[in-house]
Amino acid sequence: MSTVLDLHSHSEASEDSRAPLEAYLNWLKLRRAERPVDGIVLTEHRQFNRDADYRALEDKFGVMVLKASEVETDYGHILVFGVTDEMTRRFDFANVRLRAQELIDEVARMGGVAIPCHPGRPNVGLCEHYATKPPLENVVAVEVLNGGSRKGEDERSEELVARYGYGAIGGSDSHLVSLIGLCATRFDADVRSMEDLVRELKNGVYEPVDFRPRRKPVPHAVAVQSK
Amino acid sequence: MAVNYDPAIIGRVFETTDPVVVQAEDIRKFNQTIGDTNPRHNDPEADGGMVAPPSFAVTFRNGRHFFEHVPRFGKAGFDAGKDVEFVAPIRPGDAITLKSHVKEIYEKTGRSGSMVFVVIRSTLTNQNGQVVAHVDHRFMNRP
Repeated sequence: MSTVLDLHSHSEASEDSRAPLEAYLNWLKLRRAERPVDGIVLTEHRQFNRDADYRALEDKFGVMVLKASEVETDYGHILVFGVTDEMTRRFDFANVRLRAQELIDEVARMGGVAIPCHPGRPNVGLCEHYATKPPLENVVAVEVLNGGSRKGEDERSEELVARYGYGAIGGSDSHLVSLIGLCATRFDADVRSMEDLVRELKNGVYEPVDFRPRRKPVPHAVAVQSK
Repeated sequence: MAVNYDPAIIGRVFETTDPVVVQAEDIRKFNQTIGDTNPRHNDPEADGGMVAPPSFAVTFRNGRHFFEHVPRFGKAGFDAGKDVEFVAPIRPGDAITLKSHVKEIYEKTGRSGSMVFVVIRSTLTNQNGQVVAHVDHRFMNRP
């Protein structure tokens, strides 16, 4: 049985989002046909809310909710899955100057996985940093599909994956209710917990999936012949 | 470059404004600018009495000396939005006082580079000592 998860989303716990979690889940419940997402991962900016308990909302809407974090480093933004108390003691998640290589290695040692997100984005993506610094080691995957990408950003991410052989994930990066689940990741395996997710990201089979509606092509202008 | 400021500034109240008496005409002018035609917000004879629309809370200003105490980061910046928590209605005749403090200072990085945000929380209180709203003013600075 496969599992589809939106691996990158922000609720109102992030300072730049106004989306309540309940509204996200209701939206997904109402749009299951067009966005067949089994669950979402809340990746709040520069923080991890260890004590938040979303089980009642999961039961109410039938959508799984997992917790992770998006932190900021000298190589751009990175999603941290499998956050533990040891990690939050080791790293100040609010620090926007974390060292990416140290984070990736230490998170892996502590049982999690750190995945650079929106690598094609200027300033906060891996591609721009790779132009001036050596590539990071031990990168398991990067976020190739990001719901907030502008033109060309996802394409740059695909080139990065092709060049370095990274795994590829997708996430909506939603800060607004209507954007949740637009990009996601399909896992071959059944993923029911953060432990499952970390295991599958490290060793499983997965691919990014895109549920964004296709734009209709702009009709070509018809030349009117003058008589 | 890390952002440097005295952490003691967080939470410190620098200034309380003089009361501003709300006039029905002020509320009506505000409604005209935002296109609010709700009779409850415009008609003093409305059932339950006229009340200001919720967003009227953002029209109250901090005292002119307040920002002298707020740290600046870099040369450029702009208003990055407001969050308003509505507690009680504001009515014509209310005398509103603002008490403001620096709620939060934080950094983030984005497409356009590094940013420092300063969040100023203003608590609006009426003549009865009742809190009517909390307004978080968010300002972005480019270090």
